[in-house]
Amino acid sequence: MDGLIIGLDLCDAYTRICCHDREKSWCIPTVICRKKDEDAWYVGEEAYAYTLVGEGIIVDKLIKMVRKEGTATLGGIKYEGLNLLTMFLKKILKLPMEEFFCEEVKQLVVTLQKADAKIMDALMYCGDALGIPRERIHIVSHTEAFVYYVLSQKKEVWSNQVGVFDLSEDSFHYHELKVQRGLRKMMVIAEDEALEESFNLDILDTPSGGKLADKILSSCADRLLQKKLFSSLFLTGKGFERHDWAPDSMKLLCHRRKVFMEPELFARGAAIRGMDYLQEKSAYPFICICEGRLHSTVSMRVLHKERESQLVVAAAGDNWYESKSSVDLIVDNQDYVEFMVTPMDPKQKRLIKIDLEGFPKRPGRTTRLGISFGFLDEKTMAVVLKDKGFGELFPASDTIIRQEVML
Amino acid sequence: MSLILCRQEPVKHPYYFEGLGVRLYSSQELCYVIYNNPLLVMEGFVDNALIDFIRDDLDMAFLALKLVKWQQSGEDGDELLALILHECDYYNGAEVSRFRQKLSSYRRMPEAEFLKERADYLFSRKQYGKSAAEYQKILDLPKGSRGSEVFQAKIYNNLGASYARLFMTDKAYLAYQKSFDLVKSSEVLKRICHLSQWNPGLVISERLKVLITEELLQESGQDRKEAEEKAEQADSLLELDKLFQKDPIKRFQGAGELVQKWKQEYRNIMS
Repeated sequence: MDGLIIGLDLCDAYTRICCHDREKSWCIPTVICRKKDEDAWYVGEEAYAYTLVGEGIIVDKLIKMVRKEGTATLGGIKYEGLNLLTMFLKKILKLPMEEFFCEEVKQLVVTLQKADAKIMDALMYCGDALGIPRERIHIVSHTEAFVYYVLSQKKEVWSNQVGVFDLSEDSFHYHELKVQRGLRKMMVIAEDEALEESFNLDILDTPSGGKLADKILSSCADRLLQKKLFSSLFLTGKGFERHDWAPDSMKLLCHRRKVFMEPELFARGAAIRGMDYLQEKSAYPFICICEGRLHSTVSMRVLHKERESQLVVAAAGDNWYESKSSVDLIVDNQDYVEFMVTPMDPKQKRLIKIDLEGFPKRPGRTTRLGISFGFLDEKTMAVVLKDKGFGELFPASDTIIRQEVML
Repeated sequence: MSLILCRQEPVKHPYYFEGLGVRLYSSQELCYVIYNNPLLVMEGFVDNALIDFIRDDLDMAFLALKLVKWQQSGEDGDELLALILHECDYYNGAEVSRFRQKLSSYRRMPEAEFLKERADYLFSRKQYGKSAAEYQKILDLPKGSRGSEVFQAKIYNNLGASYARLFMTDKAYLAYQKSFDLVKSSEVLKRICHLSQWNPGLVISERLKVLITEELLQESGQDRKEAEEKAEQADSLLELDKLFQKDPIKRFQGAGELVQKWKQEYRNIMS
């Protein structure tokens, strides 16, 4: 094998790793420990073990720490959360590398419950520190990993709606997807709901706690699944590693529906996504609208070969973090640029105008406008407009306009 | 009102357009100089260097090949220019047609008038060295093609103005003198007077000295004073003042850019 395609489900409680086309997977507590008297680091169960015997100092909730730019002092040394996460990732990535005798990471797709810019930047930094080129690292939401996992299954699994309950140590989530067959392209719309009824998994160890949890799950399932036609349901997360605590819920869930237990659903979905990144032509030719993907198309009206056309700068379904583009335009007697934002419901499309304030006055068609687009999150587009002048005929000024556009 | 989508052009070696003394970095700039400076591109503009630039730097191999083929088949040079405008998608069809009409109207002009148009245009672009050479070309034409005496007087006058702006006062004086000999214009005499004040060492013929009256000298002195006052209020001086108010780093950088600009302008004037 000439490189691993790794799917990594990174959560504050547990991290799951699996590789594309490989059965073996790993589930490791997301903790790291440093030995008190030497610079030796351990992760997962080993970290707990050293801590229990009093030889190590443990750090948990690494994702939260990175988000808050927090630090931890171990053995008198202050470590940034980002460095601890890097060390943690380095250790856990060694597991598949050693198992499959492969040092190269061909694709690393990290899936997160909530993928915001800060954690995504941090993971890219970790990738740099681990020597994995940026083009080989991708970050997707749990919802997106769920979409890829489901669509890699037989069609009968996703011919109607598909839902997944994710019950973990620190959260209880429900994701749902629906495939819409369009004239040109298939569209998958997936949503995620953080359920307020989340509970500590420790309650499952007592009969009364189990009953309460069963009741909670039943009521959630009843509310979320009613009046909808499901092809299948998935159960994932630490809470569903056993299901003896949920007899009533199981009855309800399995009624006229296929229910699958898939503990590493998100990690598997991420690995499938990783494989697809390597394909010249995607095996999943659909527009995916979910968390981490743009919900609107942004376009501009431009003149090309004497014809007016819409230049799409970002399309609905693009990964917002990876959606970056730049274009040069010649301004012909206008002192503004306009963007058309078209959401899923085309009736709600709107125009956004940015005035070219401070740009030098020049004859028509002698200002080259450099426009760069990027996204700060799936609802905020950052636009940079730069005066590039017109060669030596009309030299560029330093004028730059930066603006954030809410989609 | 529109936004025109630009092609991605991997220009590594910009094309130097001698007519304006500028380097061109894109097909849009190339079209702009062709369209706005027809008088400078009508003779031998489409040459091998330009075709190489179009092929290698603008990445428009098809257009370059078409130009070569048209050149080989003896196609009208104006059509080559129109072809470039048409293929680069910067001007629309109507504008290219207007450009063609403009070229043909120039082509219909008598040679001397056409050369004067070109020389005047170069003068207006502060290309005094080139405009002087163009005016000289008219004077070198066979006698019958040089135009009327009034026309020739204008040419000598403009030649004098070009030399004066090149600080060649001797040559400027000779040109003005010839212009005066042809039409006896008081304006030309005034210019000779200006020249003599500007360069006191200038040797003016006795014949003209007699004509330069005290009144004319005073008028000339007044003009000069007004010009000096106007120059003190020039925008470029105000900009210079602003530059010197900036912090040392920005001032130094700005001064470097300004000196570079002046050098380029000076080269263009003298070339």
